Amino acid sequence: MGRSPFAADLIAVGLFAAVVLTMPVWIVWIGGYEALATKIVIWAVFALGFDILLGFTGYLSFGHAAFFGTAAYTTGLCLKHLSADILPAFFITGGVSLVVAFVIGLLTLRRSGIYFSILTLAFAEMLHAAALSILQAYTGGDNGLTMHTKPELLGIRMEGLNVFYLAAIVAILGFFAARQIKRSPFGLMLRAIKENAMRLEYTGVNVWAYKMAAYMISAMYASLAGFLMVVLEPYVATKFLHWSTSGEVVIMSVIGGVNTLIGPMIGAAFMLYFENVIQAFIGEQWRLVLGLVFVLIVIFLPGGFVDGFNRIRRAVGLGGRERHHNVPDAPAPVRENRGDRAARQPGE
Amino acid sequence: MNKGEPLLEVRGVSKRFGGLQALKDVDFSVAEGSIHAIIGPNGAGKSTFLNVLIGLIEPDQGSVTFAGEPIRGLKPYKIIQRGIARVFQTPQIFPGMSLLQNVAIAAVAKRDGQFNTKVLESLGPRHPIVDEAGDLLARVGLGDYLHAAAEHLSRGDKRRLELAVCLVAHPRLLLLDEPTAGMARHDTNRTIDLLKEISETGMTKVVIEHDMHVVFSLAERITVLAQGQVIATGRPEEIRGNPRVQEAYLGGAHAA
Repeated sequence: MGRSPFAADLIAVGLFAAVVLTMPVWIVWIGGYEALATKIVIWAVFALGFDILLGFTGYLSFGHAAFFGTAAYTTGLCLKHLSADILPAFFITGGVSLVVAFVIGLLTLRRSGIYFSILTLAFAEMLHAAALSILQAYTGGDNGLTMHTKPELLGIRMEGLNVFYLAAIVAILGFFAARQIKRSPFGLMLRAIKENAMRLEYTGVNVWAYKMAAYMISAMYASLAGFLMVVLEPYVATKFLHWSTSGEVVIMSVIGGVNTLIGPMIGAAFMLYFENVIQAFIGEQWRLVLGLVFVLIVIFLPGGFVDGFNRIRRAVGLGGRERHHNVPDAPAPVRENRGDRAARQPGE
Repeated sequence: MNKGEPLLEVRGVSKRFGGLQALKDVDFSVAEGSIHAIIGPNGAGKSTFLNVLIGLIEPDQGSVTFAGEPIRGLKPYKIIQRGIARVFQTPQIFPGMSLLQNVAIAAVAKRDGQFNTKVLESLGPRHPIVDEAGDLLARVGLGDYLHAAAEHLSRGDKRRLELAVCLVAHPRLLLLDEPTAGMARHDTNRTIDLLKEISETGMTKVVIEHDMHVVFSLAERITVLAQGQVIATGRPEEIRGNPRVQEAYLGGAHAA
């Protein structure tokens, strides 16, 4: 860890940018297609923001579809009724999402653990139900919301690679921002919430304010993803608000590796690749196989892909980082043997 | 005896949990710069009393004044921000984080207050906050394990770490709930020395302790609680000779 944070950043973010920006090329080599690359990057933004909440503070939201979906509907309505340019939609969606995140956060963050998860799920389901009933006139109900004009950005038509590069820039900036948050004094507090919220409170810290901030930042990432989704395809499905959307981002995080930032994004890529490419080879049973993969990872590789990668590095003597088992019920030997997490600095 | 004005003043505090009168009309006052011990048999209400002071428990009645201002009813983190720190009976630390991170959290809370939005600052290896944390850990005798995860420490070392977490905030009043419980005699003596050393910096301390060796080597004043009531307050030699105390506590301890 001798590198300065700046140098480490340049390498990590540069590598990430290189992989992301070339994705439309290499995804074709492995049987994908351009629009899949865009979808992967968008979901990666969603999953990345989710990790700021789940990975840092340990709060498991089962209702992040509320932000993804609300942003998608807001963007859709703006594009349809206001202007085909995505800039007004961007700012209005941002404002609406902030308000929604603040209100839901205010009501759910009073609880923690399973109660918080259930509350977030309930709010997302309420929004989903509202979109299908009292808001049907605006949302199009079951039919979804369809725009008839292609979105533009300052006169440039947003289609194909244009959308991809917009999403890629958001993802790269988002990744850089998340890394910076992680090593800042602010991020240190977020991670302390997961470790011992009570000690933090009795160290003179307004834990609630930090939770709220993390929740809102995470919600803004989800909203950005929802916004980009509609820019990619001018159609909003009610599924965007459905609990299964919330569930998918949880699964992506877990199979990729919670609290690693990069892991959930890899998880997003894996899920979408599986759903769109592997599915063609294994047919109807793909969900079954995906479920099996999930179960195997949770049982044998609870740190997700990133932990798997680090285990391989350690096995060949390159010294990958050992996973931090921040799980209350982790078996005792696992907690005892946590070895070389040593050379870490606060804020790293 | 008094080094100064009372820093902490408690008047008529009572707390009832269902049928149990945990605290009854407790008066308590600590002079600035002194070390004040609270002793008493198990269940006397000592920990409850400390919890009242930091806002963890809201008393049914009574007043708590710190540095001349009422603090009863304030949120715990606001009370802490006024300059009180608490070492808990079971060490409360951030188990999965390094020792440096543990102390840095408290240092950030001291520097930036109850909430900061400093997302652009990076806490790298040579950051002043990290240096300060390292220095303090060295002072409490944990300088060799700066990067180890806190959960790997022995119970006594966890206690020392928690003490460092509290000290880095430079509190005016430090509350210690059995700071030497579970420590070997050697470690106990080191902790006593450390507590004496930091009292020379003028830090006021309230200590709950069962170990009479610790109490009589540290405290300038002692308050004895029994069944939620103050039965005596005074200098160590007065307490030692007080028949009520011997009956309620010291005598009971000998009998057992």
